[in-house]
Amino acid sequence: MAAQAQRISGLERGQAFSITVNGQTVAAFPGESIATVLAVAGFRAFRATDASDSPRGIFCGMGICFDCLVTVNGLPNQRACMTEARAGCDVRVSETLNVER
Amino acid sequence: MITTEIAVIGAGPAGIAAAVAAAEAGARVLVIDENPRPGGQYYKQPPSSFKANDVASSLSENIQHGRELIAGLNNPKITVCANTLVWNITADGMLDLYAPEGGSRVLAKRVVLASGAYERVVPFDGWTLPGVTTVGAAQLMLKGQGLLVGQKILLCGTGPLLQLAAVQLLDAGAEIAALVELHSRTEFFGGGLKLFGQWGKIGQGMAQRKKLLDAGVPMKYGCVVTRAVGETEITGAVIAKVDGNGRPIAGTEETIAADTICMNYGFVPATELARLAGCEQFFDSHFDAFATKTNDDLETSVSGIFAAGEVRGIGGVEVALLEGKIAGAAAARQLGYAAQSNGHDILKEWQKARAAFDSLSGMFAVKRGVYESIADDVLVCRCDEIRAGEIRGAARAGAQNLNALKAWNRCGMGRCQGRLCGPIAAQIIASETGTSVESVGAFTARIPIKPVPLGVVGASAEPHATGTAMEDHVGYGRVR
Ligand SMILES: Cc1cc2nc3c(=O)[nH]c(=O)nc-3n(C[C@H](O)[C@H](O)[C@H](O)COP(=O)(O)OP(=O)(O)OC[C@H]3O[C@@H](n4cnc5c(N)ncnc54)[C@H](O)[C@@H]3O)c2cc1C
Ligand code: FES
Repeated sequence: MAAQAQRISGLERGQAFSITVNGQTVAAFPGESIATVLAVAGFRAFRATDASDSPRGIFCGMGICFDCLVTVNGLPNQRACMTEARAGCDVRVSETLNVER
Repeated sequence: MITTEIAVIGAGPAGIAAAVAAAEAGARVLVIDENPRPGGQYYKQPPSSFKANDVASSLSENIQHGRELIAGLNNPKITVCANTLVWNITADGMLDLYAPEGGSRVLAKRVVLASGAYERVVPFDGWTLPGVTTVGAAQLMLKGQGLLVGQKILLCGTGPLLQLAAVQLLDAGAEIAALVELHSRTEFFGGGLKLFGQWGKIGQGMAQRKKLLDAGVPMKYGCVVTRAVGETEITGAVIAKVDGNGRPIAGTEETIAADTICMNYGFVPATELARLAGCEQFFDSHFDAFATKTNDDLETSVSGIFAAGEVRGIGGVEVALLEGKIAGAAAARQLGYAAQSNGHDILKEWQKARAAFDSLSGMFAVKRGVYESIADDVLVCRCDEIRAGEIRGAARAGAQNLNALKAWNRCGMGRCQGRLCGPIAAQIIASETGTSVESVGAFTARIPIKPVPLGVVGASAEPHATGTAMEDHVGYGRVR
């Protein structure tokens, strides 16, 4: 299934670089948050909850809900919406999720 | 640890105005914000490397205005620390900071709290599914990242942000599946009369509405979303008409196809730092939420700590700018700088702007029935997955306020510290026990106000100055 999220047109974003998400290479632009990169790559669910294994993704978009948590370069529980993507960074979303691409 | 004369927490309109006013008077100011760039919510800025060639004016205008304001931070008296969270504050002005580079501590002679607000949300069945976000999230991702969160977006809730965001999303290329507004057409437009004298705002609202109607957007007044449709992916929403008290009317349900649902029921002041510092709160009945009490110099009950913008009551951008100016000048004056005194004129202007905004509030109040209709099995606390029925049960068994609820079933103990569930749980407890939301109170703030890595606590390095990251800005102009 195609991603629902899209980069809008009419913007020049500079030089693309890549990051990896669960080992796959994904393109990102300078200043983009990991949430943005994941969303465009077709990930909506970023993690599963501890209590019921329910999928969660972006909710507040401003760093208060802690639903968008991912692992970045081995550091768990990083807010994807508040963390800038950097060249080569290794992002892990929950593998237990049946994430559609 | 470093010392500063004035620390401003939050670089939204209120914080920027405060910093500029204090620095112009001669004070040394440290501005701290958790976001990568100054601007706050209203003036949210995209990365400085983004260049807009062809972006709708509904999007670029605020970004451009924000840049003019932010340019004021390029003052030798001002140091900006972006990407930096203030996770602790004491009444004597000691702040604990956390940035990706590490932790640090600041001792400030005066503090201006300008921490803004969060969105108010009301749970419905399926609201935790990925693809359901706040309206603010969709708007912030669009303004700050140039990202459309979905292609077919349904907006629901109440208030002016719905229409504004719908226009911005539409202009950016999304399809708007529907705009679902709690208040009936009569309530919505009847309220317009209260705006007597504010023709600018009415004009804006009418122009937005016309644009949405012209685009064929279904405008559903007097309706709420009762359920998100979809197992793992959102495929639509069930909406229903509501009665005068905001309760869905059986038999009026309708399913609307959408890939994304965005919700906003107004705003709640972000008061956790204020509460942590011991600043007295008051219940703002206009917006059904606690806010930070101040005097006319915007000093809180804790001497030396000021509050400006939405942390001292929902008020919109004009109020935030005026309050920032007043608080920044007053803080500088206390340090002996000859800041322009907050004369009669600015106080009057401020009070007028506040009153005008307060008069709007009734139009968009969230009726009790909306909260009373949250089904027992719907999650209220997203962090620890506590359901409405469990909160009702706790209330009936004796949890009469939010702190008692926290002790009862951990509601508010999760990572979000009750920022989202607190206002909802307060309404549910008030309904269930027949008391006021005011008497249910707020959760006690605890440190760190947001999770920080272990070992950061007590760190003594210097804060990481970032500047405004605005130096190489190319205009976001060429609007269409
Ligand atoms: C998501 C959202 C979208 C909005 N969109 C609109 C809109 O389109 N139009 C409109 O008229 N109004 C909008 N508003 C209302 C808007 O908040 C106000 O009009 C205005 O931005 C308030 O200014 P402020 O300076 O008080 O707070 P804000 O602009 O919210 O700024 C507060 C700043 O403080 C920072 N901060 C808070 N706590 C900490 C901490 N502990 N450590 C470090 N930094 C911290 C935040 O990162 C933020 O940048 C929106 C509000 C929200 C929450
Ligand atoms: S979406 Fe809420 S913290 Fe990232």
